[in-house]
Amino acid sequence: MIIRIIYTFCFLILNTNFLVSKEVNVFSSRHYESDYKLYDFFTKKTGIKVNVITGKSKLLEKRIIEEGSSCKGDLLILADAGRMGSAESKGLFQKFNSSVLKKKIPENLRTDYWYSIAKRARIFFYNNENIKNKDFKNIDYLDLADEKWDGDILIRASNNIYNQSLVAYMIEVYGEKKATEWVRGLVKNMARSPQGNDRAQILGVAAKEGKIAVANTYYHSLMMSGKKGTEQKKAAKKVSPIFPGQNSKGTHINISGAGLLKHSPNKRNAIKLLEFFLSDKAQKHIVNNTFEYPISKNVNPHPLVSRMGTNFKENNSISISSYFKWQSKAYKIMLENGWK
Amino acid sequence: MSTQFYLKKFNALYFSVFILSLLILSPFLSIFISLFGEVTEYFFIIKDRLFELYLFNTIILVVSVVFITFILGTFSAFLVSFYEFPGCRFFKWALILSFAVPSYIYGYAFTAFFENYGTAYSIVSFFHNSESVNAYIPKFNGMFGAIISLSFSLYVYVYIFSRSTFTNQSSEIIETSRIFGLSTGSFFLKVLIPLSRPAIITGLSLVAMETLSDFGTVYFFNIPTFTTAIYDSWMGFDDTTTANLLSAFLLIIILIFFTTEKFSRKKSSYYDRKLSNKNLKKNINLHGWASFFAFSFCFLLFFLSFIFPFLQMLYWSFKFPEYFFIYNFFELNLNLLKLIFLSLTLIILVSFFVNYALRILNSNFLNSVSSLSIIGYAVPGLIISIALMSFLSFTSDYFNVNLRNAFIGSITGLVLGYFLRFYSVSFLGIQSNYLKIDKKVDESSYLLGFSKFKTFRLIHLPYFKKPTLLISILLVIEIIKELPITLVMRPFNFETFATKAYSFASQDLLEATAVPSLSIIVWATIFIIFTFKFSDSDK
Repeated sequence: MIIRIIYTFCFLILNTNFLVSKEVNVFSSRHYESDYKLYDFFTKKTGIKVNVITGKSKLLEKRIIEEGSSCKGDLLILADAGRMGSAESKGLFQKFNSSVLKKKIPENLRTDYWYSIAKRARIFFYNNENIKNKDFKNIDYLDLADEKWDGDILIRASNNIYNQSLVAYMIEVYGEKKATEWVRGLVKNMARSPQGNDRAQILGVAAKEGKIAVANTYYHSLMMSGKKGTEQKKAAKKVSPIFPGQNSKGTHINISGAGLLKHSPNKRNAIKLLEFFLSDKAQKHIVNNTFEYPISKNVNPHPLVSRMGTNFKENNSISISSYFKWQSKAYKIMLENGWK
Repeated sequence: MSTQFYLKKFNALYFSVFILSLLILSPFLSIFISLFGEVTEYFFIIKDRLFELYLFNTIILVVSVVFITFILGTFSAFLVSFYEFPGCRFFKWALILSFAVPSYIYGYAFTAFFENYGTAYSIVSFFHNSESVNAYIPKFNGMFGAIISLSFSLYVYVYIFSRSTFTNQSSEIIETSRIFGLSTGSFFLKVLIPLSRPAIITGLSLVAMETLSDFGTVYFFNIPTFTTAIYDSWMGFDDTTTANLLSAFLLIIILIFFTTEKFSRKKSSYYDRKLSNKNLKKNINLHGWASFFAFSFCFLLFFLSFIFPFLQMLYWSFKFPEYFFIYNFFELNLNLLKLIFLSLTLIILVSFFVNYALRILNSNFLNSVSSLSIIGYAVPGLIISIALMSFLSFTSDYFNVNLRNAFIGSITGLVLGYFLRFYSVSFLGIQSNYLKIDKKVDESSYLLGFSKFKTFRLIHLPYFKKPTLLISILLVIEIIKELPITLVMRPFNFETFATKAYSFASQDLLEATAVPSLSIIVWATIFIIFTFKFSDSDK
């Protein structure tokens, strides 16, 4: 009797994933709790259940590769253009045709294999008490290496993917030699050894540990929203955003993207989900919860993000798919020049 | 009955133990096999300029953590084992509680407290509202944060091992020292520490191994060490060969500690004097300043290692109550129970099987193979999960069977991962208890006509009731805290408290990690208190 009970228990435990035909399996490196709500909306609308595993991009990549043709995943969602490129280069994705996606997503924000679903810009933040906007208006990424800012720059570590993509972007725009000199100058100008995330850099500027913080747009909005507490809101109010490169090449942007996996068992459902991400309802949900910029032109950013700026000049002249090409090189340059 | 006799009779057993040990070892061997692939430029960056940095940071980290845990662990154990002072009984078990706080969670709390506009800022501005408060709050660099987080969660190893030998020291030693005019300080340093050396070394080696294999904490504080280098070579450069080379290097260092520990444990039998109860020392009553000092030391240690991270998490839970409602507690606890039930069953059954077989087979060769197979505990979980996945996919291709579906992305795979990581805890626990049962007992049982299995069931098993429970509780605490294997190997929609905490930490919502972190701490605390009460009643 006891053995039978144990057996039944084991059976139940091991068979939690009953086969449901109307489902789609998602691997995602986006950890936002609000994404789960988005999946719920999708399930309510279509009756298709969304199964999710979240994790670091390369770990998900590794798992998909090792599972090979028995991989049950349908979609891979990652929060960096370079990471999307890495997955593409390993042949993890398959091509498919979707007029909806092509219509809604600008050409520089997609490839044949993957599509952007949300956008962010990597910009500067400064303390109003330290710097007057007029001295600062025309600042560009290149200026971070200017001797003028000696000991003033706050930026996180080199192993951070957003920084690797920023340096990759600099290589794509200015070439390897100039980008290397830029990294060298920037490292010299750092206010402290890199520590903490983007928000910690913004807090550092608020507390006057440095004059310029480099961070993604949504971190500041998150603090302004009060979700991080009143103290952080107070800190966020002391700093102002500035979009670099407005008088030169434009601001560096990055994306969250998704691609259809090569061995996807639920291909139609996966495409439906991807198209759903670009629907007005989903885009609104994303921008209102994560403070990213929308991809679809029909939707406005969250008011806190709009207040930062919506009409800034993006550098649309290069495709974000080029980040992957230079990412390893970028990291190498950063390490060789002492960017911790 | 001779060994040869058993060998003949138990050929099948011999081979099954051999194969089992080999299977346990094989994912680790795959690290060494894949050393000869192509390396990227990262390898040369490491070779030319970063290796020294990794080595330097790793040495600083290990030496500092070992030094701090040595002082905290031995001195607190000394106070509670030899003296009576207010709270002494409470501290005896309370000082173990920081074991319930994983060092990465300690790191979250530490950072949240001291960062600009953090908890310390809130506290100070409550009394003195000024913009300049941030400037007065001390800022620590990442290395300091990592050392503190690791030391406060790992000193428990030293404390437990020291306390268990200190308790066994006879009162004569103290009295003799007194007669020779030794002060308390000299007694502690010159008599007690040297006398308890093997046990302390065991504790310190465990601390060193945990520090070497730590990833979560050093990554959070951005300290480049060997574990973060393994991660970076893989994440930043797609260079698995370099990752494997570094893993192999780390494994070798860890093996050195492992051997030291084993050696010191062997020696400890010469030092450990088991005394009968009546010879046990009487604790000295402390008065006045001495009593105040002893109390303060223990209280401060307890406060900093356990109460501080606990309060920080509690503060967050109250400050951001909205995060409380996003968790499906029923499901999270159910998942935990599933994992605990299956992993415990597998790990304990295999440990019993192998230990029993080793006992009746009595083969030196098998003994060495099986003691190698327990290195999993010293290997970072991240490396285990990668090695396991590579191994499963290699075996699937080679033998043309689909092991992938059975193990990757299933609870079975998770259980297998935990098995590789934590098998040693149970194996060593059962082994050490088996050593206490004289082999003559077995022989008498055979003479009485009992079969091998009946001997095991009726003679051996009753000895193991308490040790098995203790081992199970240790395993449970480890399983509750485990992160990297769960993160990679889990099925769809499967979350544990640890994966939830990680997930919020990576979206920069450290506040939201409070609820899962508290759950981990509370669960582990319950089990620790249970262990303590249990082992105490054992005495």
